[in-house]
Amino acid sequence: MKFVVRRLLAMIPTLWVVATITFFMIRMAPGGPFQSEREIPAEAKAALQAQYGLDQPLLVQYGRYLKNVARFDFGPSYKFPARSVREIVMGALPISLELGGLALLIAIVIGVPVGALAAARQNTFLDHFPMSFAMLGVSIPNFVLGPVLIFVFALTLRWFPPALWGDANQKVLPALTLSAVYVAYIARLTRGGMLEVTRQDFIRTARAKGLSETVVIARHALRGGLLPVVSFLGPAMARAVTGSIVVEKIFAVPGVGQYFVNAAFNRDYTLVMGVVLFYAALLIMLNLLVDVMYGFLDPRVRLE
Amino acid sequence: MGARRRTRRRVIVFTTLAVVTGAVFAVASARTTAPRRAYFGRAEPPADDVLRFTNGAEPELLDPGLMSGQPDGRIARSLFEGLVAPHPRTLAPTPGMATRWEVSPDGLHYTFHLRSNARWTNGDRVTAHDFVWSWLRVLHPKIAARYADIFYVIRNAQAYKKGTLQDASQVGIHAADDTTLVVDLDAPTPYFMQLVMYYPFLPVHRATLEKYGDRWTHVDHIVTNGAFKLTFHRQNDRFIMDRNDDYWDVANVRLKRVVAYSLDDLTTMVNMYRAGMTDWNPSGYLPAQYIPFVRDYDDYHAGPYLGTYFYSFNVTQPPFDDARVRRALAMAVDRERIVKYLLHDSRAPWGNVVSPGFEGYPYPEGVRFDPAAARELLAAAGYPQGRGFPSVELLFNTSQDHRKIAEAIQEMWKQHLGLDVKLTNQEWGSYMQSTTKLQYQVARRSWIADYLDPNSFLFMLRSADGNNRTGWSDARFDSLIALAGRTLDEPRRFALMAEAERIALEAMPYLPIYAYSTVELVAPYVRGFYSTPTDTHPLKHFYFERGGAQEAAAAAPGASVGSTP
Repeated sequence: MKFVVRRLLAMIPTLWVVATITFFMIRMAPGGPFQSEREIPAEAKAALQAQYGLDQPLLVQYGRYLKNVARFDFGPSYKFPARSVREIVMGALPISLELGGLALLIAIVIGVPVGALAAARQNTFLDHFPMSFAMLGVSIPNFVLGPVLIFVFALTLRWFPPALWGDANQKVLPALTLSAVYVAYIARLTRGGMLEVTRQDFIRTARAKGLSETVVIARHALRGGLLPVVSFLGPAMARAVTGSIVVEKIFAVPGVGQYFVNAAFNRDYTLVMGVVLFYAALLIMLNLLVDVMYGFLDPRVRLE
Repeated sequence: MGARRRTRRRVIVFTTLAVVTGAVFAVASARTTAPRRAYFGRAEPPADDVLRFTNGAEPELLDPGLMSGQPDGRIARSLFEGLVAPHPRTLAPTPGMATRWEVSPDGLHYTFHLRSNARWTNGDRVTAHDFVWSWLRVLHPKIAARYADIFYVIRNAQAYKKGTLQDASQVGIHAADDTTLVVDLDAPTPYFMQLVMYYPFLPVHRATLEKYGDRWTHVDHIVTNGAFKLTFHRQNDRFIMDRNDDYWDVANVRLKRVVAYSLDDLTTMVNMYRAGMTDWNPSGYLPAQYIPFVRDYDDYHAGPYLGTYFYSFNVTQPPFDDARVRRALAMAVDRERIVKYLLHDSRAPWGNVVSPGFEGYPYPEGVRFDPAAARELLAAAGYPQGRGFPSVELLFNTSQDHRKIAEAIQEMWKQHLGLDVKLTNQEWGSYMQSTTKLQYQVARRSWIADYLDPNSFLFMLRSADGNNRTGWSDARFDSLIALAGRTLDEPRRFALMAEAERIALEAMPYLPIYAYSTVELVAPYVRGFYSTPTDTHPLKHFYFERGGAQEAAAAAPGASVGSTP
């Protein structure tokens, strides 16, 4: 408990550093939030700048921003002034969580058994074939796999719709596309972890006790063999949630990922800050979660 | 043992690859050998009267007075109705909130008579006072309205916006009574009725704005007066608009619901249309490389569009301070080749500043491809065979389409003039900054007409105009445009503008390349849709033909597609 509190407190300076760097970096980018191909009348532009305090000195803006963030007020988005940054992120977050969660679920359901099997049957066909496939999964980028899946399953076979987020059948292709890379990672990590564990003494003991191979693998080896997978899941979840930009774009999924890129292009200062801070916080929290889970899975790890 | 294992592993990898690629190719070839369907998207109307279309990137604003941009405009025009509304085919003004209107003989005073049966969605009556308040709001000095400057033809509008005039009652917008709106102009503006149909002139509901501020357009707060009302909105996803049963002309609205999807990936949009998830894929949302594959389907529609694609020169620095250099470069561009090979004839080669499509406008002769004359001009400017020409950069905003054209033009300038031009691309924000601050030498630009008048292309080349972005200024040009603005007689006015365009073509601050066209996919059962030169499509006129595919094909909207300036 003390450990968790300490880690949560340590988040604050980290987030402050992230906020500061982002704040000044986005301001260094040329241009500003209120530009368009058709010139905005000078009077209107000045009114916009004043409305958002962009006519103030940069340090004043920075101070005001930090004060507001401390109260969880991220301000209105410059690009979408009718909505606040918090509203935008909170509206998109459940969708990204669902997409990322589904993708990781698929990855675990497929990756763990495949990896375990490969380890148990090391150097046989059951090892090489899935592992080469996994290699392929790691190497095929989303922007190739997504369109191939759309072409085959949406436009040719017409089993699933090619885009949008709503019904269950709209979630299949984006989740599959996003999961591919994680299936591969998890399978390989499971295999590696298992191979290492099965060489250890306690497994030899278990076997010597006369336990069946299935029990040895499922009850003893898997628990230790999954440790690398667990530590991978934290950052993987954060990546799956916010790093799904490509998948979100291809499948028109209204998640957080798209804001990452678009907000920066639009110089939507507040939205950029909001999304970056949110991502940083998410990453820290998930890492913390992983550390806590470690404690449960491996008795040798003690949280201090 | 080790070697054999490695071999076996390699075999497995290769088999896997072969199986996967084989499957993909099998599917791909099965598709290409299949007989071609008449329609690229769905052919049968959906069971209910729900129109679904892709609306492009998420609109920034739903507030018609403040917004800019096509996606925003499409939503606003469905939710709100102005004094007059464009006819779906001719775009001529038809009754909207006003049943009739009069113009004084000198063209300076417009009187609109509003209908008494028009209601806001909260039940309030729509009155002339709503228009006065809405328009004055756009002109308020503190309001960030992107299109405020198109109101400046109204008396004292600009002075009020700039803050030099404090008294709003001196602005030429007045309500004589609840149903009479009087507008006084500074100069007769023959296209004023076109302006009034533009979305910044749509009315907004005062009490709602005053209560909710910036957030008044939330689905829970918004009050509108158009054919449809907003019932659902999810950012980056969709707008759902249901027929407004209290709309004065609801009897003529046949769609029950409109669903507008917000997404910015063109390929995804086309996928959705292909899969039958949308009935309409509007213009601008079809990637150029798709055109050769979809152009032969019957649901593909192309029409003229009032827009131009051009390069602008920064005339404040050598070598482009010399008009001969600018003209030489313009004459060395082979527009036909660009349009044919890079754009698959989906655009028209164009050498004028004003886009095609203005009937009665006497277009001056545009710039033409003439490499020999271009070389002579360049030599006369002091750069024979391009010798001694300083190093020059061509700027475009990052996009594959812009790059392809820039590369082609780079090659043409090299081949015909012996010039070495460097290409630079910048992402949107930086590009905007560079072009507005004249931190460039040659830059890609484009322009779409805001209203049906050649002035929409010429006003921006005036000396002080914020859209000029070349540094070019010519007193004769400015005075011709000003004079045209005061001229009521149309042939005379057009002649003045054509003379101004001739000056611009001689000086060549803009190097015209091609004219846009509308290219869209429309399901065969959609009726009430017409290709229009401003790409305006009032959704209240859309409906579905339920006569079956055969009849639908016979009466496909292609029949009604055409130039309607």
